[in-house]
Parts: sequence; structure tokens; C-alpha cells
Amino acid sequence: MSINPLYLLGEATTSFRRNWIMSLGAIITIFLSLLLVGVSIYSGAVVNSLVEDVESKVSIQVFILDDAPSQDIEVLQRQLQSNPLVSTVSFTTKDEALEKFKETMEQSPEVIANIEGNPLPASLDVELNNAQDIELVVEEIKASDAFMRIADRPDDPSRSLNYGQETVRRLFAFTNVLRYIGIAFVAMLALVSLIFINNTIRLAIYARRAEIGIMRLVGASNWFIRAPFILEGVFQALIGALLAIATLFAFHVWGLPRIQQAISFMAISVPNAIMWQIAALLTLGGILIGIIGSWIAMRKYLKV
Amino acid sequence: MADLVDLEFDLDNILPDPARPVASRDPELDEIAKGYAELAAPIPTASRVSGPKMISVRNLTKQYTPEYAALDKVNVEIEAGEFVFIVGHSGSGKSTFIRSLLREVTPTSGQIVVAGHDLSKLRNTKIPYLRRNIGCVFQDFKLLPNKTAFENVAFALQVIGKSKHVINTQVPEVLRLVGLEDKIDSYPSELSGGEQQRVSIARAFVNRPPLLLCDEPTGNLDPQTSLGIMKLLDRINKTGTTILIATHDREMVNSMRRRVIALEGGHIARDQARGVYGYVD
Repeated sequence: MSINPLYLLGEATTSFRRNWIMSLGAIITIFLSLLLVGVSIYSGAVVNSLVEDVESKVSIQVFILDDAPSQDIEVLQRQLQSNPLVSTVSFTTKDEALEKFKETMEQSPEVIANIEGNPLPASLDVELNNAQDIELVVEEIKASDAFMRIADRPDDPSRSLNYGQETVRRLFAFTNVLRYIGIAFVAMLALVSLIFINNTIRLAIYARRAEIGIMRLVGASNWFIRAPFILEGVFQALIGALLAIATLFAFHVWGLPRIQQAISFMAISVPNAIMWQIAALLTLGGILIGIIGSWIAMRKYLKV
Repeated sequence: MADLVDLEFDLDNILPDPARPVASRDPELDEIAKGYAELAAPIPTASRVSGPKMISVRNLTKQYTPEYAALDKVNVEIEAGEFVFIVGHSGSGKSTFIRSLLREVTPTSGQIVVAGHDLSKLRNTKIPYLRRNIGCVFQDFKLLPNKTAFENVAFALQVIGKSKHVINTQVPEVLRLVGLEDKIDSYPSELSGGEQQRVSIARAFVNRPPLLLCDEPTGNLDPQTSLGIMKLLDRINKTGTTILIATHDREMVNSMRRRVIALEGGHIARDQARGVYGYVD
């Protein structure tokens, strides 16, 4: 039997109007649940940007023998530049290295005064697209013939590489744990909100079981009974999702810049693309939850 | 003390006493009995002509638990246009019988054919179409409190997809039939019990189903109002609609002398053409 869409829409909006307290409860529950999910994804993105900021400060320094043949240096530089994992490779001469050292040691002029000649080696500074790949790139450098010829310490070439070996390993262990916790948190919240929303819809349907009973009695088809309820569930979920998205966007536009000001030493940036992804996810998730929630809650009352 | 005296008086009435003429009771009750008697089935002059079957139940057994059968090998044939009472104590299987006809319960075994639908072969998705052929009236009216009389009756047509035009012509018509033309916009809370039951009958009948099932339609109503409801059901029966009434109203059954099917412990104890209530309860 075909269902008149106008009847359907009318029925859904009428029942929405008549049972607005129930509907309001459902909307608030959906709003808060989706907001929690949104906030945890959002804070995940904030933490991620912090972690990326820290990770981006990780680079590899290849120290070079003072009289290394310049074509070998060029070979290694070209080889690294052609590696897709590497973003930039820059060459620091002995003089530049000394300049930098002097700059960092400005506070202790006695150290600078004690330097005889230039004890610092030249270096290739390698920056990566993704800091997590650091070990791979290190392995590649170690395997390179050119590196063997130019390494600052030919007796133990691996000691010519500086990438804060232990620190990097610990940092990554920490940031990975942080990411897993974030994912687990979002999954848990999504489940909790599904249960919440299902429960709320169930209550709303329970409150109208008499109506459903009479509909069945006078021979309404199951789809005819179910459709307005599901449509109403989708309405509620949609409104809840829109409220949650609006709240998140408000925070993104007003709140985040303030926080950024307060901790200006760290770069927090949540790309707008993520905001749109969150918006899409919450809308779709909300609608899906609305449909599944009403469907499951209806099942009991449509059993024959 | 007065209460006790009244009680004794009532007990005398309840206990069957052939020496005491029935007419010596409350004159108001006599009025009502007379009213019912006017609805009595005419004494058949010839053997009943058997018409097309409305309900055909063969060996219907329903067990809710393996040990106990709510209905045990019940056989009933009801023809189109009949007016039938089903009587029996609570737990005798009346409700199970009626709910089986609606396919609200599925039989453990046996065959049921209602209005041409073989219920054992009926797929779940087709049940709504069966129910469109059966009007239902209940003791508790089952009206929606947030809808007016008109909307409650219209609801039954809306949910089976009838057009606005059909609704706007049929609903006032059926409300006039049940005598509620001036209560059309009243909410159930503004109506008396009898009026609410009339709305519920209007809702059951608005679709002109060939069969009307009534589960204790007068159970909540006073005798005077009950009589009015029975007159209405009789009028509907005269349009050719088959009517099946489960009831505890002894007065009604005894005065109307219609076909009575008595259920006892899941069996049919009696099935009489011009029957009586026959229980002391």
C-alpha cells in the first residue's frame, strides 16, 4: 500500500506538536549525546594538532666528515630528497653550525671563549613529512654508501646520526597511547549515546502504545504505523544533531582562539575541514541513530 | 445494617428459585428486560437456511503452556448475518477465541477461516487486511483521548488510506447512525460511558466490515445504557453484519434469546439457537 507522503508528514509534525515534551526530551538527549561525541572528536583533533606540533620538531641530523668529498654529500642529499617520506633536506656548513652554537650558548660566554677553531661538523638536516617514519629514513641513510664515505665518525657511522633516538621513541609511544585513548573514548560515547537515544525513543513510543494498538486493530499496515514514528525519530535526531553542530562551531569560532591566546607557546590548529567532517558525521550518525532507534523500539509493538 | 439487608435480598434474586416469579424484582430492571425482549430473535418457523459461512473454526486448539489448553478442539460455524453471544466464566477461553479470530494469537493446531481468510495460511504482512474486515468493540472503548469523536472514527479510515472525501462523508454518517451527531467534536473525556462506547462502535463499523467482534461491550455500562448499546448492535446486525458478542450480562442474553455459545474450560459446553446465559455467577 502506498502511503500518502503528505499524510505522513502531517502525522509526524502533529504528533511532534502534541507530544512536544517527550520530543523535547528526546531532542535534548540526542543533542547532548551527539555534542559529547562531537566534543571528543574535536578534542581529539586538538590533541592531534598538539602532537603533530611536537612531532614536527623531530628531525635527523647527519654529521659530515670535515674533508668529505662534496659529490658524495650531494649524492646523499639528492637521494634523501627523492625519498617520498622526506619533506626537506638542508645543508648546514661548519661555519653555520658554529654560528648556531654561539647563538644558543649566548648565555655562557666562557664556553664560546674557550672554543678553538671550529670543532663542529657540517651537517645535512632532514625533515620528514610524517615524524613517525623517522626510523625508516634513518635505516635508509645507514644503508647508503655515500653516507659511509662522508660520515663524521667513520669508525661508527651510526653515531654520526642525531635524531634524539630515545626521546623520539618515548614521544611516539606516548602520542600513540593518546590517540588510542581518544578513539576508545569516542567509540564508548557513541555507544552510550545510541543506548540513551534508543531509550528515549522507546519511552516516547511506549507513551503512545495505545495509539499503536488501535492502529493495528483497525488494520493499519505495519509500514503505515512505523513510518511516522521513524520520521519523527529522524526529525528529533536531526534537530539534536544541528544543535550539537551549532554548539561545536560556536566553540570553534569563539572559544578556540581564546584558548590559543592563553597557550601561545603551542600551536593549536583545528582545520575547518575537520569541522565539516564532524558536522557530516553527527548529522548522518544522528539520522541513523534516529532510524535504528525507532525501528528497534517499534519492533515490540508491531509483533503479531 | 441496611446494606446487609440489601445483600440478602440480592442473594435471593441471584439464587435460582422457581417459586419466585422473576417479575417481582426492581421495576426498572423489568423495563430493561422488556427492552431486551423486543430485540429477541423471532421463533424460527422453518429449519434455518444455511447461508455462506462468516466464521468457520475446526478443531481449534490453543495451548499457552504444554500442560494446559485454553481452547481444546473447538468447532464453531457462524453464518453471515448471525447474531451470536459467547458466554463463559473468566478463563473459559472466550478471549482466546476472539483473539484467535483476529489473529492476535496463533492457534497451536486447527483451522480458522474468517471472512474468507484462512488464518493458518495468512502471512503476517496480510494480517492488517484481515482486520479491515473485522470491526472490534471492547469493554474499555479504546478511544484515543486526544482526538475528538470525529477524529477517533476518522482515524480508522485514515490508517487504511481512505481519502479525505470519503472520511468527510462516512464519518458523520456513521456518527448519526449511533446517535451522536451532536457530539461530533467532543473529546472522550466529555462523553459518558455509553456515548464513548457508541463512538467505539462507530469506529468499528465505519469501514462497513462484514463482521463485528465485541468483547464485553457493556461490561462497564449500567443496564439502561447497555440496552441502548444492544439496540444499536441489533440495528447494525439488521444491515447484514455478523455480530459476535462475548459477555457476562445474564439479563441481556436471557432476554434476547439469540444463539448462545457457552465455553467451559476450553470446550464448547452448549451451542443453542435461542439460548440462555445458563450460569449462576
